[in-house]
Amino acid sequence: MSKKILFFVFVVFAMILASCSGAQTPAPANTDAPVATDATTDKATDVPAAAGAPAVCATDEFGCAVIPPGSTIKLGMGAPMTGDYASFGIDISQGATIAIKDGGELDGFKFELVAQDTQGAPEGGAAVANKLVTDPTVVAIPGHIFSGSTEAAIPIYEKAGLPMLSPSATNPPLTTLGSKVFNRIAFTDAVQGKSAAEYLYNKLGFRKIAVMHDGGAYGQGLADVVKQEFTALGGEVVAYEGIEPGKQDYTTVLSVISSKNPEAVYFGGYVAEGYILANQMKQTGLENAVFFGCDGTFGAEFIEKSGANGEGAYAASLIPPDSDAKAKFDATYLADYGVPAGSLSPYTWSGYDAAAALIAMVKSVAVLGGDGNLYVPRGELVKAVRNMSGFSSITGDITCNDVGECNTAGPTFYIVQNGEWVQAPK
Amino acid sequence: MAEEHHKRPVKMPQLNIKIIRLIAAFVVLVLLILRIHNVALESQLGASTWLRLSVSGLIIGGMYALIAIGYTLVYGILFMINFAHGEVMMIGSFGGYFVFEAFNAIPVTLHDGTQISFLNAQPVIAILLAFLIGMGIAALTGYFLEKIAYRPLRGAPRLVPLISAIGASIFLQNAGQLLFGPQRRQYINPVIIDRGLGWQIPIAGTKVLLTYSGIFSLVLSATLMVALYLLVQRTKLGRAMRAVAQDKRTAALMGINVDKIISQTFVISGALAGSAGVMWGIHNGLTNYFVGFLPGIKAFTAAVLGGIGNIPGAMIGGLFLGIVESIGPAALGIDFQLQDVIAFSILILVLILRPSGILGEALTEEKV
Repeated sequence: MSKKILFFVFVVFAMILASCSGAQTPAPANTDAPVATDATTDKATDVPAAAGAPAVCATDEFGCAVIPPGSTIKLGMGAPMTGDYASFGIDISQGATIAIKDGGELDGFKFELVAQDTQGAPEGGAAVANKLVTDPTVVAIPGHIFSGSTEAAIPIYEKAGLPMLSPSATNPPLTTLGSKVFNRIAFTDAVQGKSAAEYLYNKLGFRKIAVMHDGGAYGQGLADVVKQEFTALGGEVVAYEGIEPGKQDYTTVLSVISSKNPEAVYFGGYVAEGYILANQMKQTGLENAVFFGCDGTFGAEFIEKSGANGEGAYAASLIPPDSDAKAKFDATYLADYGVPAGSLSPYTWSGYDAAAALIAMVKSVAVLGGDGNLYVPRGELVKAVRNMSGFSSITGDITCNDVGECNTAGPTFYIVQNGEWVQAPK
Repeated sequence: MAEEHHKRPVKMPQLNIKIIRLIAAFVVLVLLILRIHNVALESQLGASTWLRLSVSGLIIGGMYALIAIGYTLVYGILFMINFAHGEVMMIGSFGGYFVFEAFNAIPVTLHDGTQISFLNAQPVIAILLAFLIGMGIAALTGYFLEKIAYRPLRGAPRLVPLISAIGASIFLQNAGQLLFGPQRRQYINPVIIDRGLGWQIPIAGTKVLLTYSGIFSLVLSATLMVALYLLVQRTKLGRAMRAVAQDKRTAALMGINVDKIISQTFVISGALAGSAGVMWGIHNGLTNYFVGFLPGIKAFTAAVLGGIGNIPGAMIGGLFLGIVESIGPAALGIDFQLQDVIAFSILILVLILRPSGILGEALTEEKV
C-alpha cells in the first residue's frame, strides 16, 4: 500500500515538474528546442543552432523550421475534404496546388501542400492543427477553410508560430482575437453583411425581410450583421430564425416565416441548406419572396439542386474580375482537374492567392544554411505575412492591416437567370 | 420494472412517488398551456400557418411511425433495440433513388413524337418499382443484419446485441459512404409527384399547398400501417410472431420455428423502413449515407413514446412526435433550432411520468 502511495506522490511530483518546465520554455518541442532523441531519428527535425544554422534562428521567437535536403517545404491546410462541404475543401486545395506548382523552387527545395480533412467542423479544425504542428517541415497555413474550424485552430498555430492566411474564413471576430498568426484574404462577413443589407434596401427596394441562418459562426455572424444593418437603414426584419444544418425538412420554420409576409429571405449559411430552403420556400407560401443568399450559397451546386425554384435567387461572390492572371489560372485548372475553375466553389482563386502569397513570404525570409539545410525563421515569417503589402495576385492586391485583414474590397452580387449565375446590376 | 415494484417491502414510498409524479405532470401541463396561450395571443400566426405546420408534421410523423414499427417489432421479439434500423432505412432510400435514376435515363418516344424519359411516361410503374426495390433491398439488409450481427449472440446477455447493433449501424453508415459517396444525391421524382406541385387549399385569405408527394407519403404510410396491423392480427405469420413475442420456448414447443419467425420479423421491419426511406427521398428530395441517422433516433423515440413493443403505440408515437416537433416551436414561441430539444424533452418527460409509454401499460405487465 505504502509503495502505491509513494508511486502516486512521485507521479504528482513529476507532473508538477513537467508543467513548470513547460511554462519556462516559450515554444513547444516541435520548433527549436533540441531534444537528444531528435538527433537519432532520421526524420526531418529542428536541430541545434550549432549545426550550421544561420544566426537569425538563435534570436527568432519561435526558432527555425529546418528542412533537410530531399524534403519539401510544406504548407498545411485544414479543409473539409469529405462530407457535405467537401466541394469547398477539394476546390480550395486544388487552387492552392496550382499555386504550389507556380511557386517553383527555393534553393532546390520544392513546395508541397498538405491538405488534411476537417469536415468543416471545429473539432476537425483543432485535430488537424494539432497534427500539422507536429510536422516540423510545415511552415505556413493557407487556411483554414471554415470560420468555426479556423477559430479552433488559431490558438494551436499561435503557440507553434505558424502564420495563417485564410482564403475563406470570413467571420468578423476572428481578427479581433489578438492573434499574431491569423490573417485572411477573404472579405469579412461584416463587409459582406453591410453590402447585402444596403443592396436589399437601396437597390431592390425591400422594406420587410426575414433573416435566417444555420447557427454556425459564419452563417449566424453574417445574419446578425444583415439584421442590424437593415434595421439601421430603416427596414424591418420581420423574422429572425435559425435552422439546424443537416436536416432536410425546413418547411415548418418557413411556414412560420411566410405568415409574416417578408419580401425577401436572407440566408447566412452554406449551399447544402441554401438550396433546400430555396426549394421549400415554393411549398410554404413564400413563392413570391426573393431568396437572398451569401457567398456560402453561391456556386453551381445551388443551381443544379434547386432548378427552377432557384430562378431569381441572389448570392454574393468573391469571384475576381477577369484578368490575365485569372485566365491563366482558369486554363491550368481546367487542364489539371477537367472542370472549369469556380464550378466547385467560388473560393478556388482565393485558395491560389493564399498559397501564392505564403510561398512568396517564405521565399523572402528563408535562409540556406551552411549544412545544406533550409532554415525558415518562424517568427520572421509570421511578421512578414502580417506586414505583407501590395502582393498582387488574381483577387487583387493583398495588403494586410495590423490585425490581419488583407482584403477590404466587398463582394459582387449575382442572380440566377435562366439557370446561370449572372452578375446582378450594381 | 414491475418486478422491482413487487420486491419493495413497504408500499408507502410508491404511493408518494405516484402523487409527486401526478403533481409534476399537472404543473408541467399547466405551464405548457399557459405558455401556449400567451404565445397564441401574441403571435399573429394565422390558421394557414397552423395547417401547414400540422401537415408537415403528419407527413414526417408517418415516416417516423413506419420506422418506429421496426424498432417495436424487433423489441417485442428479441428485447433488443436494433440501432442499425435507421441505416436500413438509408439503404432503402438509395434503392428507390437508383430506380428513379435508371428510369430517368431511359428515353421513350410517345406517339406524337415527343421524347420523354421512361420515368415520366410510366410514373406508376416507376413509383411502384422504386418502392418494391427500396423495400426489397432494405428487407434483405434487415435479414442479413439479423443473421450476421444478432443471431450468433442469441444467448448472450442483453447488452451484447445492443453493442453489436451500434457496431452494425456504424458499419452500414460507412459502407454507404464508400458505396454511394459522401455527397447528397437529389431524388428525381416523376413529374406527377413533383415536390412543388399540389392542391391549393384556400384558407384565411391565403392558399396552403398540400404537395402531392407529401399526401402520397401520408396515404402510403397509413396504408402500410393498416396492412401491417392486419398481418400481425389476422394471419398465421402474425399469430406466430405474437406467440414468439410472448414466450419463445413455448412457441417452439408448439411447433413454431422461432429462428424463421425472427428472420421474417427483421424482413418485415426492414421493408417498412425501406418504404419510409423511399418516401423520405420523394418528399424531401435528398438522400445520402447519413440520411437514416436522425430519423432512426427519432423513430426510436417515437417507439418508446408509444410504448416499446406495442405496434399501435409505435404508430401513434410516430405521428405524435412528428406533429409535436413541427408545431412545438411555434406554439411555445421558441427557436426552430430547438425542434430536436422538444422531441427529446418529451421523451424524457414520458419516461419520468409514464415509463411504459402511452400505450405500453397492458403489454409490459403481461410480458414481464
